[in-house]
Amino acid sequence: MADTALATQALPGTGGTAGTPGTAGAPGRAESRRGGSPLSWFGMPVLLAVILGGTYLWVSSLELDTIEQRTLNVEQLTRSTIEHLHLTAVSTAIVIVLAIPLGVLLSRPFARPVVPAVLGIANIGQGVPSFGLITIVILWTSLGFWPMIIGLVACSTLPILRNTMVGLEQVDRTAVKASRGMGMSPLQVLLKVELPLAFPVMIAGIRTALIINVGTAALGTFFGQGGLGFIIYNGITLNRTPVLVTGVVLVSALALLIDYLAGALGRLLAPRGL
Amino acid sequence: MTFAEYLTRNYDNLLELGLEHLNLVLISMGIALAVGLPLGIVAHRNGFLRNPILAGAGFFLTLPSLALFSIFIPVLGIGAPPAIAALSLYALLPIVSNTVTGLASVSPAVVKASQGMGMTGFQRLLRVELPLAWPVILTGIRVSTQVVIGIAAIAALVGGPGLGTEIFRGLRSQGNASAPNLVYGGTLGVIVLALLLDAAFVLIRRLTTSRGIR
Repeated sequence: MADTALATQALPGTGGTAGTPGTAGAPGRAESRRGGSPLSWFGMPVLLAVILGGTYLWVSSLELDTIEQRTLNVEQLTRSTIEHLHLTAVSTAIVIVLAIPLGVLLSRPFARPVVPAVLGIANIGQGVPSFGLITIVILWTSLGFWPMIIGLVACSTLPILRNTMVGLEQVDRTAVKASRGMGMSPLQVLLKVELPLAFPVMIAGIRTALIINVGTAALGTFFGQGGLGFIIYNGITLNRTPVLVTGVVLVSALALLIDYLAGALGRLLAPRGL
Repeated sequence: MTFAEYLTRNYDNLLELGLEHLNLVLISMGIALAVGLPLGIVAHRNGFLRNPILAGAGFFLTLPSLALFSIFIPVLGIGAPPAIAALSLYALLPIVSNTVTGLASVSPAVVKASQGMGMTGFQRLLRVELPLAWPVILTGIRVSTQVVIGIAAIAALVGGPGLGTEIFRGLRSQGNASAPNLVYGGTLGVIVLALLLDAAFVLIRRLTTSRGIR
């Protein structure tokens, strides 16, 4: 959790000028430390274990009525969690495959004329509520797994696209010039210099995509796609606090765990020297 | 019914929902500011507390919005209060982190000069550091506002007010000929509100930035 402190670096729009407002969703984090204190490695797993264990003990100490038992059983909770993970994983994979190459393409010199337009759309796109966007996709297609995935992808593409573009833009121009001077081809410069240097920002983008998707997937239940939102909404409509709290704790723990894993992976994979 | 017809017929309804939405956003932002600004100042002045404060604010932004909206329902009941609580927490991080960044970007020479003039710590904060950091802080507030406007649409799913209710109504009457109009109306309303508030920030920026750094 301590690594959240670096959020300021990656939060776009901190420059004070009118600039681009920051990404919606989770704070992007430009990780650069490979080591880090024990707290940054073990703080989150311990916190999650305490919260999950505490909730488990609390719920199992209650005498659940039949309505609560219908939702709060191992089978239902497992099914909802798997549905949720399925939505998150598929949508994030598509976003990564779609948005990062597109961002790289748009950062090439030949794409310069269209960049302001793309960034402009990305900024307006921020104002589009994800709930409305998914509903529109569903209305245009039908209820189902893939329409929901399209909706999730639509919600998270623009932030990741912009993250990649901004990341590549921040690469030191002198480093690029030096590599060209060393006789590297533009492709070599991209692969060996620009992408590794932009790596932290891109990892932060993937992490943001995961957080946006894991959060938006909670709306899946309103579109007939289950997920952990189902548990929460059941808790609300049936007016059963234990059900609601269990859903909230599970989905929050999942989001925090995914965020933690993505952050840890980013730190392990970061190119040395950064 | 075409979308244009829907708009002319439901104009006042959309306006009312838009005002509800705006109200939700403004109250949440007010609370987030009242909490976030002091937290940011504390985080800037106290190096020991900086990381825990920023981590805490970032923590809330990681939580799925539906979860954060719902968790306050057992305590605050259904309606606007749980939505306001959730939105205030969502708005915290950009405000806190930009306050820290803004204050840190104030030149140490200027701070030293104000100390030399005999200003107390509080005077220095109020008359030197905050005015100089204000453009950065305001950007944080603007980012927060944009985030909150979009997320506020989800309030409707858990019984809250705002433009989300129109989208939800459309979703529930799916298959009905008027359903798309409701969804478009609600979504468009949110976008228009976001653009309007963004424009308002340009004005606020001009009016509230110290003359010396404008």
